Amino acid sequence: MDAPLSAFSPRAATVQHRFFSPGRVWALATNTLTELIRLKIFYFLLLFALLLIGSSAFLVQLSFQDQFQMLKDVSLGAMSIFTSLLAILATSGLLPKDIEDRTLYTILAKPVSRLEYLMGKLSGVVLLLFVSMLLMGVMFAAVLFWRVHVVTGELVTGGGPQELIDQQLRDLHATAYNPNVWAGGLVIYAKACLLASLTMFISTFASSSIFTVIVTVVIYFIGHLQATARDYWQVSNGAAMGHLTKAFLAFVSLVFPDLQLFNLVDEIVVGTPIAAWLLYKTLGLGLMYFLIYLLAAFFVFSNKEL
Amino acid sequence: MSTPAIAIRNLTKVFPIPFRRDRVVAVRDLSLEVAPGQVYGLLGPNGSGKSTTMKIVLGLISPSAGRTEIFGRDSQIVDSHEEVGFLPENPYFYKYLTGMETLRFYGKLCGLRGAQLADKAGELLKLVGLEHARDRRLGGYSKGMLQRIGLAQALIQDPRLLVLDEPTAGVDPRGSAEIRDLIVGCKDRGITVLLCSHLLGQVQEICDRIGILDRGILVREGKLEELISIEDQTEMIFRDAPPALLAEIQQLVAKSYPQVNLLETRKPQTTLERYFLEVTTAAKAKG
Amino acid sequence: MKIDEGIAQATPSLGSRRRQYSSYAIAALMVLVFGAARLPFEAGLTRQHRAASFGNVQLNLGLRAKIGQLGFLAALSGFRTLVADLLWIQAHTAWEKVEYGRMNLMLNTVTTLAPHNVNFWDLSAWHMAYNASVAAFNDSKQPKLVRRLQAQHQYFMVGKDFLERGIANNPGAYVLHQSLGAIYRDKLEDHWNAFLEYDKAAAFARAPTYEKRFAAYELAKVPGRERQAWERLKRLYDMGPQERLPTLEKSLKAMEEALSLPEEQRVYKTPVQNPLDIIGKKLQIP
Ligand SMILES: Nc1ncnc2c1ncn2[C@@H]1O[C@H](COP(=O)(O)OP(=O)(O)OP(=O)(O)O)[C@@H](O)[C@H]1O
Ligand SMILES: [Mg+2]
Repeated sequence: MDAPLSAFSPRAATVQHRFFSPGRVWALATNTLTELIRLKIFYFLLLFALLLIGSSAFLVQLSFQDQFQMLKDVSLGAMSIFTSLLAILATSGLLPKDIEDRTLYTILAKPVSRLEYLMGKLSGVVLLLFVSMLLMGVMFAAVLFWRVHVVTGELVTGGGPQELIDQQLRDLHATAYNPNVWAGGLVIYAKACLLASLTMFISTFASSSIFTVIVTVVIYFIGHLQATARDYWQVSNGAAMGHLTKAFLAFVSLVFPDLQLFNLVDEIVVGTPIAAWLLYKTLGLGLMYFLIYLLAAFFVFSNKEL
Repeated sequence: MSTPAIAIRNLTKVFPIPFRRDRVVAVRDLSLEVAPGQVYGLLGPNGSGKSTTMKIVLGLISPSAGRTEIFGRDSQIVDSHEEVGFLPENPYFYKYLTGMETLRFYGKLCGLRGAQLADKAGELLKLVGLEHARDRRLGGYSKGMLQRIGLAQALIQDPRLLVLDEPTAGVDPRGSAEIRDLIVGCKDRGITVLLCSHLLGQVQEICDRIGILDRGILVREGKLEELISIEDQTEMIFRDAPPALLAEIQQLVAKSYPQVNLLETRKPQTTLERYFLEVTTAAKAKG
Repeated sequence: MKIDEGIAQATPSLGSRRRQYSSYAIAALMVLVFGAARLPFEAGLTRQHRAASFGNVQLNLGLRAKIGQLGFLAALSGFRTLVADLLWIQAHTAWEKVEYGRMNLMLNTVTTLAPHNVNFWDLSAWHMAYNASVAAFNDSKQPKLVRRLQAQHQYFMVGKDFLERGIANNPGAYVLHQSLGAIYRDKLEDHWNAFLEYDKAAAFARAPTYEKRFAAYELAKVPGRERQAWERLKRLYDMGPQERLPTLEKSLKAMEEALSLPEEQRVYKTPVQNPLDIIGKKLQIP
């Protein structure tokens, strides 16, 4: 400690505080991303790669329509489940860990508001989800191109009337390179971000991260049934239904998110076209959920005893 | 009169005990002020409410009653944190970051950027003696090293006020002495320090003022010298005094001043701390 | 002593606790209000999704029984087509074991789970009408021919049924019309309906040109439709040499003869006969 003390001297004037600073949020977000990356969370991508390669090797025996169909089903299904799991598991641990390790004290003792803290942590997860979607998308595209290349070769060398070959190649490209698949990826991402925000909200009042995970997973499953409950509740308004049943259906409809709306992938994969406005509406709804859960999380967190 | 660096007014903090209707009163009706530039020591046995008081001063937990201010700003509002550096007790940072990254992270939270931040972080690492460990992850730091990085982190934005909760816990005597020097350095620069520690020797050396908490109640408060000097006693220390001289003094006292009591005569000892520092410095010089 | 007096004072209340609970209440209220606000929007969006044929599958208890708890859970949570894929592969195994009854059930489940997968409908129909029917006809355990023929016919109808449901679910899929036409043609020998299906297939812009030829061939096999058939065939013939395939030429010739067209309208003129040939032929007869 022989260094000159000039290294620190108090600021002369009162420092102006900015109510909200994107810079602080960004610092927290990148820090969270660093944490998650250094936890070696990306190893799950290896699993994804194995699944892709394994399934494409297995699918070779099927007709090429089946092959690409299933390749897309498997890839997008895996993307969906991996990002959802990642969103829930990565988010659920953030807050409890910071509270338990008391790192939260050191952060909130700096000029960081609780809203900035929550936004930073959540943005870190959103970044992580983005990077994983991107990597999975690249892997998927690579396998897709490779398979198309192989199948094209087989079709061309397979012989047969030129007309038929042309037709088959056209079919092949239509099945394989359906641009709607990327819209499907976007919806998967939106759903994962929604889940991250929901998990963050739950973890602000949960007593442990296990509790958070369990509750979120339950909400995940019920969320896919919410539309059914809502239909039932709204359609059979006058019908003979016990008050209790009705109250229960109303509760499910109002409290749980409608996750079925984010399940466009099944149909997108088989080539059902999706209108742009329908996509925007769905994504917009996802954003609303994200913001509302963040706001609710902020309300609980801002009055929480640390 | 200038605004106090810290003002605590009628502060009370009650914690509920989970699953019971009972509650713990951690701090009861506490009022005190720390003037700018002062080093204030908050003392008290375990569980007396020192850490709780500090957390409330920093707005980390909210008071049950009363209020606290930092340079006149309500400490429950984030603004007030611009000028405070805080070292919590048993600090524990992100294990996956290196020392350098940790300082840069906290610097960014304080609005520092770029080269300015890098320079600052480098200087502070040198200051707390962690230059050799700047690129090691905190997961591999020892307790004392964590304490040091915590101190550096608290200083990153040149705060006007430092709040240190047991800054020397777990730090070796050398580090402890260095931290003491550092605090003295801060004081010389005009930084206000609120400190709590169980090392009373050190507190005595550096604090201007102390407050003693017991079970949440401030039982004594005041200037250090006023509280501890013993007005009716005097010490004299000689070097190379022959036994004859000492005998003569004793005789003189007994003969001429019967009302004076000679309480004790002894050889002063070097403190263990000073001895330890001498030995380890020597070892360091040799190594 | 002073301390004990302090402790003896009334315990202060927990202000922060109350704040915390009220923040829970606010958050719960937010979730509810948002729930009420999004309700009409989500109901509308669900309707629009269904109109665009997204997720219009009834995940009812019947399906639950067929795909098991795990499959049902997976199907619920957004992996419907993945479950369908897995069942499809299982159905393939059933095929390899020549268990057509079981296969039929599984294919029904697969197509229920993934009703917009044209391929599943098409191949299911093919398996039933072409493979299962043959197996039923060759069933060594059933000695009575009538029974075997009955079973075979049933499988034809199962195949036809798959395609009809597939068409209802996927109005844009010309392939299903083509396959249905093939079943009418090859299995049920109903050339009029075969013609109708090929004609529907040909009407799609994306359909390959051979659909038109297939339609015309079938029409040519329907008694009393020779004129229409000839017109269609002729139109195709006139489109150029790429359409003049052997079957087309044969069919066209047959129509010309059936209609006894005057020589100048014919594509295939009656060859000027070489007298020597006639002699040759006559010589061979005895
Ligand atoms: N989060 C909490 N929930 C319940 N009780 C708490 C909480 N934090 C502190 N307490 C109680 O408040 C009292 C004061 O604790 P505090 O940590 O302030 O003591 P301290 O003076 O810092 O002690 P030490 O010297 O051991 O650090 C203790 O009785 C403690 O049990
Ligand atoms: Mg303490």
